Amino acid sequence: MSAQAGTGTYSPAAAAGDKRREKREELRRHLAEDANWPRADGRSFHDCRPAFMQTGPTTAASGSAYAEFGKTKVIVSVFGPRESKKAMLYSDVGRLNCNVSYTTFATPVRGQGADNKEYSSMLHKALEGAVMLHTFPKTTVDVFALVLESGGSDLPIIISCASLALADAGIMMYDLVTSVSVSCFGKNIIIDPTSDEEAWQDGSLVVAFMPARKEITQLTLTGEWSDGKITNAVELCMDACSKLGDILRDRLKDTATLTSE
Amino acid sequence: MVGLSEGEKHFIRGGIAQGIRTDGRRRLQFRALSVETGVIPQANGSARVRLGATEIIASVKAELGKPNILHPDKGKVSIFVDCSPTAEPTFEGRGSEELSTELSVALQRCLLGGKSGAGAAIDLSSLIIVEGKVCWDLYIDGLVVSSDGNLLDALAAAIKVALSNTGIPKVNVSLSAASDEEPEVDVSNEEFLQFDTSSVPVIVTLTKVGQHYIVDATSEEESQMSSAVSVSVNRNGQVCGLTKRGGAGLDPSVIFDMISVAKHVSQQFIAHLDSKISAAEAAAE
Repeated sequence: MSAQAGTGTYSPAAAAGDKRREKREELRRHLAEDANWPRADGRSFHDCRPAFMQTGPTTAASGSAYAEFGKTKVIVSVFGPRESKKAMLYSDVGRLNCNVSYTTFATPVRGQGADNKEYSSMLHKALEGAVMLHTFPKTTVDVFALVLESGGSDLPIIISCASLALADAGIMMYDLVTSVSVSCFGKNIIIDPTSDEEAWQDGSLVVAFMPARKEITQLTLTGEWSDGKITNAVELCMDACSKLGDILRDRLKDTATLTSE
Repeated sequence: MVGLSEGEKHFIRGGIAQGIRTDGRRRLQFRALSVETGVIPQANGSARVRLGATEIIASVKAELGKPNILHPDKGKVSIFVDCSPTAEPTFEGRGSEELSTELSVALQRCLLGGKSGAGAAIDLSSLIIVEGKVCWDLYIDGLVVSSDGNLLDALAAAIKVALSNTGIPKVNVSLSAASDEEPEVDVSNEEFLQFDTSSVPVIVTLTKVGQHYIVDATSEEESQMSSAVSVSVNRNGQVCGLTKRGGAGLDPSVIFDMISVAKHVSQQFIAHLDSKISAAEAAAE
């Protein structure tokens, strides 16, 4: 920056970017080294954001769910089971078709959500083990997820919301699937990260879990992890997943009592 | 698509349960590995790796580019995987798209580390030439020439070999007086810098068939799997990436067990691959 001052050029954008970076670096240092530094939204390291979930936001779908975790807002619609496309080969088990899309205004920079094109297949992998595909042969169930606002931990929230929507649609499942992610900063593990935290993480781990069967349907990990840390992180995630499962169950019971009244 | 009769399926599953597989291997034994380096002259580094009947060509190309505004002190690495229809007719057109994306995402996850750059196999800051102005863009391409299972492990091995074969040209930067001008970069044709590949991990995929898990599954064996866990491990025995495939849920204790088995197997595989690399380099000279 000193060279720039010498030549008399003036670029506020670069300077502001630098300052922002310094601030983030400082925050990162705190997250990595301190035992319990309060996070930007006031949570402690092992606190999840308050979860708001609701079934039935869209009426045209067989089942739907809306989830809001902090800034992240997701809506999932489930259609079917309906006849598979003619071009599809005969199959004596049903098909699960998953699609995740982002609204163009979901991210701070317009249209950035398109980067996450692997989310559709990851959602499919997280759910397929829980859905009783043999109960709807020759047909397809479509799961469409739309991220209205991306505020971090998008994929886990999509997975949890999709399993609530599937249950709302009356699709037979072995169990609900809930999912939670953690970020790793230095020696600390932070649960349910926001997008700011995700942008500076050293590593991340996503667990999709069936709370009643106590089985992991999907597990992805990035960054460098030691053995003990993986065990801790997975156990932390499973614990949070079980609690989230209770919330999902309560929402489903609420809907059931409302309709029966 | 693998078409197997009931008898064949039973034979494969039974063999794995008894610890002897259809090709005579034990459960945690790899197929024969063959390594060739420098197969693509116009790339900065390349390799051909064969693992049984699975064949992969990996190439590394370095181009001059501009660093990302958010990371002015880092170069860029992109990984692409292409599944050729020569390997399997279903890969034609858009048929391989899903598999290609899945493989490239898994490789990115294992090789590029966390968002902050911690645990990355490739040190991105070593790719910078002038901070904020010029950096190397590394393009890593994997091509599946022939496919007989265990593509991810073979791809990761091929990329590791290709990176160890990669020479990045030495550059001389003539800094002009005004710093806002584009610096002049002179790329040397003769001097190359060797790439540090000591932290590039290998991937070991454990495929669960019945109650047991096997390494290096063929496509027949893969068709019988309930789930598979791919663990990427570096030389220090640190896990630096993990992906699960297959729908069936797994008990957490099984996953932890798989991770520790994968770590054990990977150390042998790294040593084996290293000796193959040095043999291939010696043969090329």
